[in-house]
Amino acid sequence: MGRRQDTYDRRNRWLWIGLAAPGAIWLLVLFVAPFYVMLSVAGGSVNSFFQTAVPIWNPLQWSSANLTAVWHDIVGPGSFLGPPALRTVLYTAIATVISLAIAYPVAYFVSRYAGRRKTLFLVLLIAPFWVSYMMRMLAWIDLLQQGGFFNRALSFVGLPGNTDWLGGKSVTVIMGLVYGYIPYLILVLYAFLDRIDQSLIEAARDLGLSKWRTFWSVTVPLSKPAIIAGTFITVLPMLGDYFTNQLMSGAPSTTMIGNAIEGQLESPGQTGQGAVLALMLLVVLLIPMIYYVVSTARTSREMA
Amino acid sequence: MSGGNVKLESLTKRFGDVVAVDDISVEIQPGEFFSLLGPSGCGKTTTLRMVAGFEPPTDGTILLDGVDVGNWGPNRRNVNTVFQSYALFPFLTVAENVAFGMKYKSVPKPEMKTRVAEALELVQLSGYENRRPNQLSGGQQQRVALARALVLRPSVLLLDEPLGALDAKLRRTLQVELGVLQKQVGITFLYVTHDQEEALTMSDRMAVMNHGRIVQLGTPEEVYNEPADAYVADFLGVSNLMDAQVERAGDGTSPCRLRLGDFILDAEAGQLDATGAVKLAIRPERIHVNPYETGGANRVPGMVERLVFLGSTTHVYVRLATGAALQTLVRNDGGELPYSQGTPVSVALPADALRVLPDPGVSVAEIRDETAGDQLLDLTGTSTS
Amino acid sequence: MASTVETPVSGASHLEPVAWRSRPRGNPWRRPWAMEGFTWLYIIWSIVPIAIAVLFSFNKGASQATWQGFSTKWYVGSQVTSVLHNPSLHHAVIQTLVLGGLTTAICVPIGVGFAIGIDRWHSRTSNGLNFVMIFSFVIPELLLAVALFLLVTQALTFIRLGTPAEVAGLVVWNISWPAIIVRARLASIGRTYEEAAADLGASRMGAIYRVLIPLLMPAIFASAVLVFASTVDDFVIVEQLSSTANTQPMSVLIYSNVHGGLSGPSLNALATIMLFVSLLAALIGFVAYRWMTRGERTKGTTEALTGIAGI
Repeated sequence: MGRRQDTYDRRNRWLWIGLAAPGAIWLLVLFVAPFYVMLSVAGGSVNSFFQTAVPIWNPLQWSSANLTAVWHDIVGPGSFLGPPALRTVLYTAIATVISLAIAYPVAYFVSRYAGRRKTLFLVLLIAPFWVSYMMRMLAWIDLLQQGGFFNRALSFVGLPGNTDWLGGKSVTVIMGLVYGYIPYLILVLYAFLDRIDQSLIEAARDLGLSKWRTFWSVTVPLSKPAIIAGTFITVLPMLGDYFTNQLMSGAPSTTMIGNAIEGQLESPGQTGQGAVLALMLLVVLLIPMIYYVVSTARTSREMA
Repeated sequence: MSGGNVKLESLTKRFGDVVAVDDISVEIQPGEFFSLLGPSGCGKTTTLRMVAGFEPPTDGTILLDGVDVGNWGPNRRNVNTVFQSYALFPFLTVAENVAFGMKYKSVPKPEMKTRVAEALELVQLSGYENRRPNQLSGGQQQRVALARALVLRPSVLLLDEPLGALDAKLRRTLQVELGVLQKQVGITFLYVTHDQEEALTMSDRMAVMNHGRIVQLGTPEEVYNEPADAYVADFLGVSNLMDAQVERAGDGTSPCRLRLGDFILDAEAGQLDATGAVKLAIRPERIHVNPYETGGANRVPGMVERLVFLGSTTHVYVRLATGAALQTLVRNDGGELPYSQGTPVSVALPADALRVLPDPGVSVAEIRDETAGDQLLDLTGTSTS
Repeated sequence: MASTVETPVSGASHLEPVAWRSRPRGNPWRRPWAMEGFTWLYIIWSIVPIAIAVLFSFNKGASQATWQGFSTKWYVGSQVTSVLHNPSLHHAVIQTLVLGGLTTAICVPIGVGFAIGIDRWHSRTSNGLNFVMIFSFVIPELLLAVALFLLVTQALTFIRLGTPAEVAGLVVWNISWPAIIVRARLASIGRTYEEAAADLGASRMGAIYRVLIPLLMPAIFASAVLVFASTVDDFVIVEQLSSTANTQPMSVLIYSNVHGGLSGPSLNALATIMLFVSLLAALIGFVAYRWMTRGERTKGTTEALTGIAGI
């Protein structure tokens, strides 16, 4: 009952504000403020002696030196940031498509057909969450090493077994991305698919649609919010990924934008440029992020 | 604490532009079982919540035993509520649920135990102390909710459609039990429901509400037998509303003479001095259906449209020659009915049972829509004169 | 029109039953073998590598591919390379636990309060704060880590690099877990229980403390477990905000040593320890969750999990 809720909520307003305050302050100080600092560093200068970044706090005094430098790095004559940027988009797109192709059937199966074994499947699907990311990557590094199981299995069936999988192969990085991010995707898809009203599907079958038709005309449209949500929580973090490449490859031929950002920040004198690059990535992500947040808020309001 | 007098004076509640409760005034006596009856949205629940303290009134006063509690929080008032969903705390046992409120009354531990046991015995759930709410049936949960409220010995108990979630048979049993319990405990009960059968069964007095106002206040017999208007008549059971024209208004000695279609009828109940267009109401149990040739006063020819067997009674749906559709009922006392579907009959509408009601200016069908709820089966649809 | 079936309603010839044009193909109730097989394949692909890595942490030799016998030397045996004896490995375990504990202890209460407050404080400010919280959920961790590093080194320098900065950053990064999960649970609880408590005499805070928090306990616990596991696993923020080698938790240690450095099985052993720490937390959480919801009719596991999806 909306009315009962409104009165109770309104009467205790200050209580709610008080409860939310610590979290709100923490968010503002340690989430919002840091980006202002980043802006100040990006628009700042360099202490030439120590080669450290000197932030300029006043927005009116921000210099565009770093911005220009980065821009040249991307599109200018000596540009070296173009390839990583493109590669990032490419890897992310491929990894996301593959992840969706795997995750959807799995999530669909577990949510609709698992029956009594649903909990078992869920536990197995959730397990990667508890297994730390490090461990999962480490496991693959072990397997893909020169003398590792994978190469040995290949030579066992007669294929060449001496490929250096970890030495800069796009395939490995993409597989690493998929392996790393797919558990989140499966879970989100599952949560949404689980909520699809079974009687809608049954009604379609009852009205004469075949299984295929039902799937395409009913289930897929109903899955749209699931796929959109899943894509967002996969793509957005993936664009800033740098560690998968470092672990699975470590070679410059497969670097992503994240690696570039990290590299610049570590290099003395280039912190400001690293900040600019990071902010560029942030801006690129901001629009889909806002879209995602707005539509989530709208859906939860509709469901409330 | 004794007492239990509840006085509402010009109580009003507005939610923005919507007036949920519109200037109601009523005084409930200590120890009375008082019901607020009406369809969804009539303001009865809002009224209850204001008495409980969950909504502050926009206007008017709420007096509990003479004290103005309008601005008091729910925890300060000596009033307790039984919620529609029971609101039993799932993480506590039955005993812990019942004992919950005593902590705020500084009741010493040993006394708490005895009072919990007493309360559970009162609602016939002794021995259930260590169960959890999800292990109880709906009816049992409701009784725990009752015990939890009663153990605090409030002067008034508020009940918000507590039987709504139960199946019909259980509902009827508990209706009787609640009435008995109330008399046993002696506390004022303020009961909110949309089920007229409940209100009629349990109440000492009841108020019929619509659109935030009290339309009629009285004992169940008064409200049922002497409804103040067409809406109340139709809300409480079947009213067999008909449109009619006054031929000659009644005065103190003579009945009101009316024209119903092509027929002249006398009415001796209701607003006899009315003129012009009026509504007529008659309870189904007062109608007599006889063979077509039967003569006498206040009779209209008609045809049996449908017979519905309901176990102990059979509902007879007749259509009068005027076009009006009426419901009546006969007890199934072993004999066969002298008519069946399609039989022409003569329908008697005794004058002392025929009630003249002011015409609210809307059609019978519209009134039926407003009062739609737990009526007897109406299979003849909306076709009326 | 050549139908031999009598129609009860005249003139409705289009409603007559029509002979099936085709035979139904296959068994409509057959089990979806293909999908199930695919699912199992995924599960195998997902879990088997981990199992192998865990297994080989108990390998007698240093190889990752040849099994040389069972041994716990990488854990406790060897004087030089085992986790127990090697100081940096040793400290890493402790640091991980410290980070995990501190972060969870701070993040969960703040997050729960935030969830309750934001849910009921209807204003544009609260909507804005909610947006910010969801941003923190989808943003690439690197961006936040970098921003925090700059904040701590350029502005709020009283937050020292190392454990203080790491905890501060981890709390922000993980606040969305309790915020989202508890909020999802709040939606299904409603206000009735608190009203009932008030009706029975409780004050506002009293009702929250005695009724709302116990009702939220399962969600609080679930989110605590997730925060802990996420912190144990984290290395992006931790790496950016670390100071000396001594404050490296397991995750960072493994990351920095993967291409050379410490020998393989030690890392496996370390990672396996990480695994078991997380699993233990998950198990405790699961058991506690089931115990706490023993008085309620809930779906248990599925509810806690779906809360993550931001619904």
